[in-house]
Amino acid sequence: MADGALPGRVWLYSNYHCNLACSYCLTESAPKVLKRELTAQHMLEVATEASALGFTALGVTGGEPFLLPHMPETIARLANVLPVVVLTNGTLFNTARLERMRPLADLPVQIQISLDSADPIVNDTMRGPENWRKVIEAIPSLIRRGIRVRIATTGEEIDDDDLARLCSLHRRLGVSDEDHVVRPIVQRGRAADNGMGVFAEAGDLPPELTITADGAFWSPFGPTVHGGTLDTDLLVTRATAPLSMPASALLRLVMGRPAGSDAKLHIR
Amino acid sequence: MSRVDLLDARRAPLLARPFYEGGDPGPIVAAIAHVPEILEAGMPFLSAVFGPSALSVRLKEMVVLRTSALLECRYCIESHSVVARDSGLSRDEVLALRDNKSLTGHFTDAAERALLDWVDAVAGETGPVPEKVSVAFRAHFAEPDLVEVTLLAASTMMLNRFCTALELPSAPITVARLAEEELL
Repeated sequence: MADGALPGRVWLYSNYHCNLACSYCLTESAPKVLKRELTAQHMLEVATEASALGFTALGVTGGEPFLLPHMPETIARLANVLPVVVLTNGTLFNTARLERMRPLADLPVQIQISLDSADPIVNDTMRGPENWRKVIEAIPSLIRRGIRVRIATTGEEIDDDDLARLCSLHRRLGVSDEDHVVRPIVQRGRAADNGMGVFAEAGDLPPELTITADGAFWSPFGPTVHGGTLDTDLLVTRATAPLSMPASALLRLVMGRPAGSDAKLHIR
Repeated sequence: MSRVDLLDARRAPLLARPFYEGGDPGPIVAAIAHVPEILEAGMPFLSAVFGPSALSVRLKEMVVLRTSALLECRYCIESHSVVARDSGLSRDEVLALRDNKSLTGHFTDAAERALLDWVDAVAGETGPVPEKVSVAFRAHFAEPDLVEVTLLAASTMMLNRFCTALELPSAPITVARLAEEELL
């Protein structure tokens, strides 16, 4: 980890397809896009190498990770190597899947669910029909099973009243302020087409090693898709194994920029 | 029409960006940039092989242009015809190197003839360099020259196949210069 020069988390893009097609999605994810899937075995190998290299945490994102049938068990295997946060839209937690996730309660796992507004209409306009209702049902269902839930709110301009209503809602659902993150829309992918978000380049983004089926990227905001084509401007290396190759390349890049230069946009 | 999407500066991966700092890096870099770790490792090697070295620029361009002619690489022939002219080769010499049947009469220096025979054996044949060619070459060049010329020809062959297979386009400025010198 080169004495703290790199953040401790390695991100895994488990897949790119999604049951939703959000208006600001960085990866143009939707039901019928290329899946660009990492196998469970590949993710486990990355986790094992990451641990050996000194990384301290994993993140799993997509696409919607829970579209992969093996995901509950894969998260458990990953969490036996390093703590894991999984980013999900929270719409696929039926009873059967929730029961398969029970073992995660005893592991260092956080399920981070997107919820963009306390107002169902505002939320669903960006994320899709019935999204708000499904998320509101899923959060307590997970918490009841002992699984730690975080809420991520992504938006352009969230005013104080909207934020207060949202915070009131997540507290009622059992999610503490500590587990609520608010972040800007980044102007890549579908957000760029819809004129949404803030422009960000490498200097604005924390250098969190991000592994995808297409290579290793500077940050989870890097492997975006625009017009169906993968963006390459934040590509670090095409090779992802051994993990030391992209990790050392990322470190070389990080060493070449001023300390703290990623703090401008507060993208975390 | 190139068979690979040539990455412009806006889409250049992070490790590739230094190669774009001086402007358009040309289609070879713009193609290899898709695999930035290979670009990062490979370009210093290619720069060392093709750049200034113990061999004269004239001799090196003779090797590159002759090899490219034997491998029939349009991109390399066009771009190195310009480099060869800028390196002091005459228009007739350039045309002779590009025509693999007409070297006689254009290159009378014994060392240059031995060099070209060596290149023909490396790039035009598949086996070891014949003994007679080797003896003639060694009469004029030292062991490190033998290694460098062979490495230069072999590296050119690699790029010849890369550029031809992917149909890399010549730069407009190259085409204009060739037209100006009636070398198209």
